[in-house]
Amino acid sequence: MFSSGVKRELTWIVTTLWALLFFCWLTDWWIEGFVFYLLFYIARQLWSMRKFEKWMEGGTQAAFPPASGLWSELTYLVSRKQRALEKHADLQFYKSEQFKAASMLIPDAIVSLDQQNHIEWFNATSEKILELRRQDVGRKIEGLIRQPQFIEYLKAQSYQKSLTIHSLQGVQRTFRIKIIPYFDNHKLLIVRDITDLYNMAQIRRDFIANASHELRTPLTVLKGYLEAMIDTPGPHQDMWLPALQNMENQSERMQAILEDLLTLSKMESETITAKEVMVDVPGILKKLHTEAEQLSQGQHDFEFAVDDTLLIKGHPEPLKSVFMNLVSNAVRYTPAGGKISVRWYHDAKGAHFAVTDTGIGIAREHIPRLTERFYRVDTARSRATGGTGLGLAIVKHILERYNAKLHVDSLIGKGSTFRCDFPLQRVQVSEAANE
Amino acid sequence: MERTEFKTHISEQLNRNLEDLFNLVLEMGGLVERQLENAVKALSNGDVEMAKEVLVIDRLINKEEVEIDRLCASVLARQQPTASDLRLIIMAIRIAVDLERMGDEVTKTAKLVVKLSDKGVACPDLPGYAELLEISNTANAMLKQVLNAFARLDLSEVIQILDEEERMDQLLKVAIAKVVDGFHVAQINPECLLEMVYALKASERVTDHAANIAESVVYLVEGRDIRNIDPQKLTEFLNNLK
Repeated sequence: MFSSGVKRELTWIVTTLWALLFFCWLTDWWIEGFVFYLLFYIARQLWSMRKFEKWMEGGTQAAFPPASGLWSELTYLVSRKQRALEKHADLQFYKSEQFKAASMLIPDAIVSLDQQNHIEWFNATSEKILELRRQDVGRKIEGLIRQPQFIEYLKAQSYQKSLTIHSLQGVQRTFRIKIIPYFDNHKLLIVRDITDLYNMAQIRRDFIANASHELRTPLTVLKGYLEAMIDTPGPHQDMWLPALQNMENQSERMQAILEDLLTLSKMESETITAKEVMVDVPGILKKLHTEAEQLSQGQHDFEFAVDDTLLIKGHPEPLKSVFMNLVSNAVRYTPAGGKISVRWYHDAKGAHFAVTDTGIGIAREHIPRLTERFYRVDTARSRATGGTGLGLAIVKHILERYNAKLHVDSLIGKGSTFRCDFPLQRVQVSEAANE
Repeated sequence: MERTEFKTHISEQLNRNLEDLFNLVLEMGGLVERQLENAVKALSNGDVEMAKEVLVIDRLINKEEVEIDRLCASVLARQQPTASDLRLIIMAIRIAVDLERMGDEVTKTAKLVVKLSDKGVACPDLPGYAELLEISNTANAMLKQVLNAFARLDLSEVIQILDEEERMDQLLKVAIAKVVDGFHVAQINPECLLEMVYALKASERVTDHAANIAESVVYLVEGRDIRNIDPQKLTEFLNNLK
């Protein structure tokens, strides 16, 4: 019926009342006795309150909690609650310490910044890479990493992209800097040393470019002699003509591969600095149509559905090579009598260039790997058709530059569709042509 | 002056202005650091493009100085700060002037690189090249140290900066002597040598300015002017700081 605190208090009151009644009966001071008892009770309550308050404040060891009636129960409950909280806090602390220790060991520099870019905490690697010190917590990051590019990146507030810089705190290495917003308006600054990766990519690019360049010259000489041998009449012709023609074919193929490799490495390393213009895609496709007819030698049925008003922003040469590569692939992998349709159209998402053929098709597992260099679905057949194995790699690189995507749909035996999706920002529909 | 955050004033505006000022000075310092780095790169690789970038950054630095002056004037006029805040403003103006001068001096090294490439002379062949590179590198390191000292209001590296400055004075003398010898050699173009003298002098001036900034930082933190006090007292004072 009563809570245990109230029960204790009542017990105390009843006991003391008995004592009081006995005292009053003995002395006959009824009124005085009761008044005195009331005053004593109030004083006791006030005294206990004061003691309880002192104890709650803590501090001195001398502060004991009140030990009778309601107050002893209260003391007990409070201390039980406190123990539970402490245990919980210990557990939380342990967990957060563990997390902190893990973040310290990450080999990238990680710095947490608050809304105003003050440093909140950082891991051990930051001390090495960013030369931060313990007492820098609370300082602004701009004051300590003063690299102008970094400050620009920090101020720009657009953190989707990362920043690559070639020197940091006076160290000439390549770093990738990324800022990730997190935890209401706080930011996580991540700095990774990518010097080795960067150098390796550089070496690979240089190697391919140099090797293809160096191989081109001897090949030209070989080709020249082969041509001369084929053209010179004489007794050797009967026996060697097929062999010579084969050699010429192969050297032509080799030259095509080298040219493609050079284009590819140029695409990778060079940032095109030329100004982007509105590219007359319909015009390019018109020319492409005749070229495709020549390539197919009348074996395929072509259908070109081109939106004449649709232009996109970019550079004419790379785009032309994208279209040419896709169409020549279709010609190469479609058996004689097949149909190839080329569409150039736009919708709400952007402009699209699609080549659909009724060719041999590609199995699903090969599709993600098609744009790798020298990747072949069927090695023997591809050699016979005379491709270089680099066409789609080139397409991919060019499209990446324009933020466009290559989409492949294919069914074995039915044919394939290769579609390039150009983003809406690049598209322009010319009004003049509409009228 | 013990301060990590600018939250000591009741006036929000003053807090914000002082913090902006602090950051502007450091940002400007970052530009000069970048410029020096580029100058060293241009010098060691004979890279004319880099040298031209140095000249472009110089214009940015000049703009930044005007901005700092404007902010200082407006804080002085509107809020009349005293004590450490006043010191911060006075020193911001001084440091900005030093940084701007540094920027100008660095362009001389860049001009040397441009000139030499015009004449078709390779930098490393000139006498005094090694010293120039050494001075420029040291200047770069000193600037970094002194800006860190300013950002952290930490004087532990000031003594090093002042010592380095002395060393650079000696190095300049050695370098100039070498260049003077170079004038007697017939096949070296005296115009290039003259340009080298300018560049050496300018790089040494950069280290002087770095030392000046270090002195300003001491004044900012300790409120004591250490310019023109005799070396013994100075060492004693700086040692006591630690």
